[in-house]
Amino acid sequence: MSEIHFKIDGVDRVAQPGDTILKAAEAAGIKIPTLCYNKKISRTTSCFVCVVKDKKTGKFLPSCSACPSEGQDIDASSDEVKEMRRTALGLLLSEHTGDCEAPCTMACPAHASVEEYVRAGKQGDFLKALKIIKQRIPLPMSIGRVCPRFCERDCRRNIDSKPVSINDFKRLAADLHYESYMEELPPLNGKKAAIVGAGPAGFSAAYYLRLEGVQADIYEKMPEAGGMLRYGIPEFRLPKDTLRKELAHFEKMDVTIQYGKELGKDISIADLSKQYDGVILAVGSWSPSSMRVEGEEYAEQGIRWLENIAAHNWKDLPNPGKTLVVGGGNTAMDCARTAIRLGGEVAIVYRRTRKEMPAQAIEVDEAVEEGAKLELLTAPVAVKKLEDGKLALTCCKMQLGEPDASGRRKPEPVPGSEFDMEADTIIAAIGQRTICPAEATATKRGDIAVNAEDLKVEGYENVFAAGDCVNGPATVVEAVAAGRKAALSAVDFFAGRKHVEPPVFNVSRGHWSSLSTDDLVYLHEVSKADRVEPEFIPMELRKTTFTELFPTIPAEKIMKEGERCIECSCTSKSECKLKKHSECLGVKPDMFKGERSCGKADTRHPAIIQDPRKCLRCGICVKICGEVVNNHLLAAMQRGFATRIGTAFGKGLPLACKDCGKCIEECPVGALDWKIKN
Amino acid sequence: MSEEFSFLKELGTDRSSLIKGLQLVQQKEGYVSDEAIEAVAAYFGMAPAEVEGVLTFYAQFKRIKPGRFQISVCDGTACHIKGSPQIQQWLEAELGIKDGETDAEGRFSIQVVACLGCCSLAPVMSVNGKVYGNLDRKKLVRVLNEYRKM
Amino acid sequence: MAQIKRIKVGMASCGLAAGAQAVYDELKKIAGDIPVVGVGCIGHCYCEPIVEVETDSEPVFYSRVQGTAETAQKILSLSEDGRFEVPALRKKNELVFVTKLAGRIVPCDIEEYKANGGFSALKKCTAMKPADVIEELKKSGLRGRGGAGFPTGMKWSFLAAKQNPEKVMICNADEGDPGAFMDRSMMESVPYQVLEGMLIGAYATGATKIFIYCRAEYPMAIEHLTIAIAEIKKAGYDQLPGREKPLDIVIKEGAGAFVCGEETAMIASLEGKRGQPRFRPPFPTDSGWNGLPTSINNVETFANIAPVLNYGAENYAKIGTPKSTGTKIFALAGDLKNPGLAEVPMGVTLAEIVYEIGGAEPGTVKAVQTGGPSGGCIPADKFDVKVDYDSLKELGAIMGSGGLIVIGNDRCMVETARYFLSFTHKESCGKCTFCRVGTKRMYETLQRITEGNGTEEDIAFLEDIGPKIRMGALCGLGQTAPNPALSTLRYFRNEYEAHVKNKVCPSLACSALVDLKLDPANCIKCGLCRKTCPVGAIDENFVIDNAKCIKCNSCKELCPKKTIQRVPRGEGFNSNNQ
Repeated sequence: MSEIHFKIDGVDRVAQPGDTILKAAEAAGIKIPTLCYNKKISRTTSCFVCVVKDKKTGKFLPSCSACPSEGQDIDASSDEVKEMRRTALGLLLSEHTGDCEAPCTMACPAHASVEEYVRAGKQGDFLKALKIIKQRIPLPMSIGRVCPRFCERDCRRNIDSKPVSINDFKRLAADLHYESYMEELPPLNGKKAAIVGAGPAGFSAAYYLRLEGVQADIYEKMPEAGGMLRYGIPEFRLPKDTLRKELAHFEKMDVTIQYGKELGKDISIADLSKQYDGVILAVGSWSPSSMRVEGEEYAEQGIRWLENIAAHNWKDLPNPGKTLVVGGGNTAMDCARTAIRLGGEVAIVYRRTRKEMPAQAIEVDEAVEEGAKLELLTAPVAVKKLEDGKLALTCCKMQLGEPDASGRRKPEPVPGSEFDMEADTIIAAIGQRTICPAEATATKRGDIAVNAEDLKVEGYENVFAAGDCVNGPATVVEAVAAGRKAALSAVDFFAGRKHVEPPVFNVSRGHWSSLSTDDLVYLHEVSKADRVEPEFIPMELRKTTFTELFPTIPAEKIMKEGERCIECSCTSKSECKLKKHSECLGVKPDMFKGERSCGKADTRHPAIIQDPRKCLRCGICVKICGEVVNNHLLAAMQRGFATRIGTAFGKGLPLACKDCGKCIEECPVGALDWKIKN
Repeated sequence: MSEEFSFLKELGTDRSSLIKGLQLVQQKEGYVSDEAIEAVAAYFGMAPAEVEGVLTFYAQFKRIKPGRFQISVCDGTACHIKGSPQIQQWLEAELGIKDGETDAEGRFSIQVVACLGCCSLAPVMSVNGKVYGNLDRKKLVRVLNEYRKM
Repeated sequence: MAQIKRIKVGMASCGLAAGAQAVYDELKKIAGDIPVVGVGCIGHCYCEPIVEVETDSEPVFYSRVQGTAETAQKILSLSEDGRFEVPALRKKNELVFVTKLAGRIVPCDIEEYKANGGFSALKKCTAMKPADVIEELKKSGLRGRGGAGFPTGMKWSFLAAKQNPEKVMICNADEGDPGAFMDRSMMESVPYQVLEGMLIGAYATGATKIFIYCRAEYPMAIEHLTIAIAEIKKAGYDQLPGREKPLDIVIKEGAGAFVCGEETAMIASLEGKRGQPRFRPPFPTDSGWNGLPTSINNVETFANIAPVLNYGAENYAKIGTPKSTGTKIFALAGDLKNPGLAEVPMGVTLAEIVYEIGGAEPGTVKAVQTGGPSGGCIPADKFDVKVDYDSLKELGAIMGSGGLIVIGNDRCMVETARYFLSFTHKESCGKCTFCRVGTKRMYETLQRITEGNGTEEDIAFLEDIGPKIRMGALCGLGQTAPNPALSTLRYFRNEYEAHVKNKVCPSLACSALVDLKLDPANCIKCGLCRKTCPVGAIDENFVIDNAKCIKCNSCKELCPKKTIQRVPRGEGFNSNNQ
């Protein structure tokens, strides 16, 4: 038999008799995705992700099984072919159930590998945990203390207990190893970047720039570094010694900081963008929002008040006396709790109910524990200065109406309910806004306008912006995530590449609120113990000093806490071909909807897990066990949508399978896998 | 091989007779038990999983012991158009069992089948192979009552 | 009075289901010396049981014969009462060619088959060179009757060209299309004719082994074939000239899997495996059963062989249309007066089949479905189409094996499509993605629409995924599975839109979109409806509460005054809405 001459994507190719189109394409360097093809076994022709089109007949062919014929003209890459591949992947995904990533990891704005660092902590390897954390979170000491814990809100242990105390792993890992651990740095590549603002976004950008070989100079208008961490968050939540230790690390990474440099005054975007290869603006969101009431000038502005106290290092400050804090956010809570520590008698005035407060529930709880009173459904109408020098806040009572755009029920004034509250200090903590630099374009909300894809500031080639100054006031972890994105975007810009956000592809079993424990897969038994709780310092100290609220939870307890983790993510997430091809072709997990594969994961074998809900029914495992190992322990059972891969009488795989595992190695997804995770 | 399944010996041991072997088992026992699968697998020199895989592919094979009277309700096209879903609904209500189930006394079992090939008499069902055509509610209840007396 | 020579009772499955056994028993009791025999089916299933009385002159037919002594007596006296004549309109259109002997001879009696010209074609062929037999068949233009319509002579020539000492011929008797029953009828009625076709095929192609893959739901067909094979062996017809060994003929019972009608799946099943199709090539002629060259033909095709060769290929080619020669047996079922089998020349119009042969009332029919679950619907306004392989395909339907379901005006086309998809998605072998998941998603979508929960996106989804499944699926089952949905969408889109936009089933067929309503004007308050209602939905004032009603229609069926009707949802009483 002689060679076969045909075309792939218009180029002449030669194939040997018996070669499939897939093989010929591979030899020609054309990559065709496939899930069910496996060279160790006879063809399965199942997934149809490898389809190509015969241009002459117009037919689609599974390239893993079809052999080229003389003169054939194969289309392996057109949009039409890709659309068929996408459809095949979409259909497979529509029956596939699992969790690529654990929900905690998905919930983390910085996309830190939560499950992995919790597991390292469980094993007592907190250095490993720190290394994993720092892949996404370069400020673990701070974030380990002040993070609102998005991860824990989505933790599946919420179904039957309380979430794993994830953030405490971060805090402990950082406390133990942050100062001694130095990442391996690549040599500097000569590119230099200027960063404006020494807050979390700025430091994060500097960190990830340096990991890519780019040296950064930070310009800061205040006398000390840290931004909101230094001047916004009070000492009792984040001791400044801790912060200083954390930030000192950056100097070891060739990052320089110049203080007292204010954008628009001492430095300009125009100059920096010329002096440096790139500029990242991370100036934060520091302008207090107005209450828009008469007499506002008599009230303190929350963030300014905190900033002033921070500048005094929480020492030798006057007692604010009877204090009214207006607002329901974290800044309001920080103001209230600071005022308490200064000897004040504090009430928090908020126009909706406690449920609607944007502050973290725990912050509100702690403020109340410390003695703050809540004046709910109360809105300020005016501030008056009384003759005795005291202040009065005129308020009116509110009631909740229909939900507004934010989904929260809209407060409406109760007619004729106005009343006065006397106070020595009134603090308005109703939010902050960005002061957009004059050289940049502002969005409608007043933030710096950027291109969402690469964070480039409108009108500039090499200027990027990140953090609160782009998003408005948000959390530290979000600022850190944004700083990283800006850094990577800048690096791509330096390299002349277009910055593309890596797609976040994730299949999920669903939010815990829609699941029961039966819906989950347990690789190992999960500890039934209660969530570890911190040991707060005595209330007397909390009310009178700025001592940190509680010490870091010790390692033994955190290791035990790790045993509460279900480890939700897929054992095969780093090798899953379904995920890989779907990412590559831009297929979303919810492209098609419908009933999913049923069945329960079989975890009876000590070393192997079989999860029919992840199975693609490609039958590779059946053929490996049959054709390669000659054992025939697995077989396709039933037919149609109900087809599943099973063992005789559903008894599961025998113990001896742990010594072979050849089927496991070939499973394109995590339907058949070792129970071990790395 | 146990005495019970010695009838398999009338078949050659070629694998192509596997389905025939399973059909013989079902003919004799009314269904295919785990023991039968083991015996058939041993006879053909196959693994039980393979036999189970083949067996579960085909709708004919039952893994649960059926009732004394096996009702097959045709849901072929003609029967469907002529109201076989209604027949199924009535049957399920009368007997208190669903497709694929056997009643507690082991008397009746229902299975919905693709086509009995009696489309001109639609809707039809068969009881132990005997076909009843042109069914309506009255006729259905009459047929069931006949078997209830047996 | 004419002399009665023999009495023939139609005792194929259809006859038996209609009560032919009692008729036979009664006749036997009083017939005395006159032989009473069971025969097959003449195709007029709508008027079974049928009795033919052979006399010394013209035969006399009786239809809808009751199994009573009185009726038996009438027949023996050749009463004028209850006689049956083939309706004139049917006579005008049909061409009884392949089915000539069906229902007219004792199925398993080899002598009677021989007396009626049986095995003459075989004799004629074995006197020819095998290649000449195939040439003759090619000239006839006969195309496979199983569905795809591949030229039979060509198919046989591929197998004949293979030099293997062992070759396999398979008779596809798996007739899986619900609604098609011509193969069953032929096997039950004229098993020798079907087998003669196989013997000729084996001779022409050099096949050494024949499998008949018959569905287990056809016990009588299997019984008749088994007897016929034994008789053929006894008579030595299985010893073909020039062969050392007699032909090996084996009946294999299918085990309930529609997909096994697909040739590679059938081969897998015959090998004792799961009936899963595989990618072609290699084609079965290159590597089929156990790797041997294999050719698969359908029962009706085999039944055609002997008549075609007896009649002469050139003469045969004049029947029908140039590209689709000969006759085709259609199985008529559904909403028409005369369901049954009808053999017509290719090229008659659908109108002739449906209205003239089937006796359906024009104006009461909305569409026909041809080709079973793999086919499509053809709306009544296209009934002037001449029926052959190619013209049906153009309309988005297929000939298939010849099942023809007449769909009346009061049937819902969305529900019809849903039904077919419920069938195909369950029958999918589960191997390839497009079929296993794709048909499931189509079925779910159709289900949603018939339940009144569909959206316009659902219609768009069906139109998007359907053609992709058609192009992407591995085998014929998957590739054709979207047809019922796509063709109903093509011709009855308005019905889909009514379901999703207005939440109305125009045919009042989809229970979720229907209320039951009792018209008090004609109600005689007999209480039958209340007694039969399984859920107590009818109160003492004879008002049906649709909040409770499960639309089982029990009351509607029983009401002696027909006071209960299905009405659009919302028009009946519903305690939830008060």
